[in-house]
Amino acid sequence: MSATEQCVTTIQKEKQLATLSPNGHTENGHNDTEDDTAFTVGTTNDNCRRTSMRDRRSSVYDDNALREKDTDSIHNDRLKSMTSFYKDILISVGEDPSREGLLKTPKRAAEAMLFFTKGYEQCIGDVVNDAIFEEDCEDMVIVKDIDIFSLCEHHLVPFFGKVAVGYLPKKKVIGLSKIARIVEVYSRRLQVQERLTRQIAEAIQEAVEPRGVAVIVECVHMCMVMRGAQKVNSRTTTSSMIGVFRDEHKTREEFLSLAKI
Amino acid sequence: MALEQSDDDIFLDSPTSKQHRFFPSSPKALPMKRNQDSSCDTVSPLTRQMKSSSFSTQEYGDHERHTSLRRRPSVLDEKALREADTKLVRDQRIQAITRSYQVVLESIGEDPTRQGLLKTPKRAAEALVFFTKGYEQTIRDVVSDAIFDEDCENMVVVKEIDIYSLCEHHMVPFFGKVSVGYLPNKRVLGLSKIARIVEVFSRRLQVQERLTRQIAEAIAEAIEPRGVAVIVECLHMCMIMRGAQKVNSRTTTSAMLGVFREDPKTREEFLTLGRINPF
Repeated sequence: MSATEQCVTTIQKEKQLATLSPNGHTENGHNDTEDDTAFTVGTTNDNCRRTSMRDRRSSVYDDNALREKDTDSIHNDRLKSMTSFYKDILISVGEDPSREGLLKTPKRAAEAMLFFTKGYEQCIGDVVNDAIFEEDCEDMVIVKDIDIFSLCEHHLVPFFGKVAVGYLPKKKVIGLSKIARIVEVYSRRLQVQERLTRQIAEAIQEAVEPRGVAVIVECVHMCMVMRGAQKVNSRTTTSSMIGVFRDEHKTREEFLSLAKI
Repeated sequence: MALEQSDDDIFLDSPTSKQHRFFPSSPKALPMKRNQDSSCDTVSPLTRQMKSSSFSTQEYGDHERHTSLRRRPSVLDEKALREADTKLVRDQRIQAITRSYQVVLESIGEDPTRQGLLKTPKRAAEALVFFTKGYEQTIRDVVSDAIFDEDCENMVVVKEIDIYSLCEHHMVPFFGKVSVGYLPNKRVLGLSKIARIVEVFSRRLQVQERLTRQIAEAIAEAIEPRGVAVIVECLHMCMIMRGAQKVNSRTTTSAMLGVFREDPKTREEFLTLGRINPF
């Protein structure tokens, strides 16, 4: 077990060295007092300069991706530590980890878990990758029936379903597959459906600055179907409406009928 | 050893079983290892060998099959891995799994102290213990004497039973539907017991093929009917959410015992009555 503990300690140390602070500015030795003013809440600094929306809360672009700085060796450390603990889980469940079918299961389960949380490895800036184009389009753009697979952060059990994203561009459009990629990056994490919906909407809002964004997510939650309440047919729908989609109900209606979830 | 050998010989020497060795899909073409891979099997090597000499129920065709199940160890009395758990033992299991999940959360890069994740290790541990609660019951307990003498000779089908299981290779859920049919031989089984048998076998770390076979064998042993047929159709999250990432693909396995294996018409009737509709 000590080897595993070392793995975890290494990961944590690397995190401290490499991580961006939660407020969105890098810890590189010097702290800009102006940045502190803009981002930290409850500061006693009198220069409460607030110039734009972007300063009030951390930009989606600045959100640190928890595993973005992972090198191969850190990735392997993560795998090793998870593998050994999955083996413990198998023993605790009552199974025999040395039987043929379970021999490599801890490693496979660890790799699967890392895959299911690969959204932590990318930040939105990289995903969007400047695929924003000037286009004289003023009508609704909808990308619907995007399959998503996420992990419930409360039970570590999958939830999955479909997403429909719509926006009203204001001279700028985003590459269509980038919408799906944004959805993918946010969904491949430990998530709560409400937060996932909001994050997708905010990312598109910030990338393209449209007149409005609408996102609907409809999912089946295995944590509710396989256990707990055990309601097999129930689905959860959340939505996020920004801009004209929130203010004007006709626009919202048009989106809802075109998205047809 | 001699006993096991003779058991093998009885199967191997029969003219029909000889044919099986030439079919690529025959389990005999595979090493014995596959058939020894039975879940929660703490039985002795002797019975394991007996089990390996029994047929996989995947094939069906025109060749005759030995349908007696007396050579293999009883499915009804198979030991359940967690049957003897007291509350204390169960709590200890959950605590151990909770600690493991705490490390898992750290390893994926998350912060286990943030509000949404504070109690996640414990919830995930309890969820996992629930998903494997099939280890806590034996079939005999489940069936519980709900076997009745009934003058019924026509097919009984319980179809589209929802199941939720865990893939034993990735510990990721797979779920779908099961249809079970049998031709009674003067004895019928309580209908909900069929669903309970399915539940006990599915709430484990499973492989879909084995799950199918176990359900069929349990029913065959409980009421000794003229035949049992089981179809399982599932979506595998390990294949949908990762790996090949084929979103619409479903896996179907079946187990045909007795007349369902021997008589194509009976099989056809079951496949029609017990058809699993797209879900």
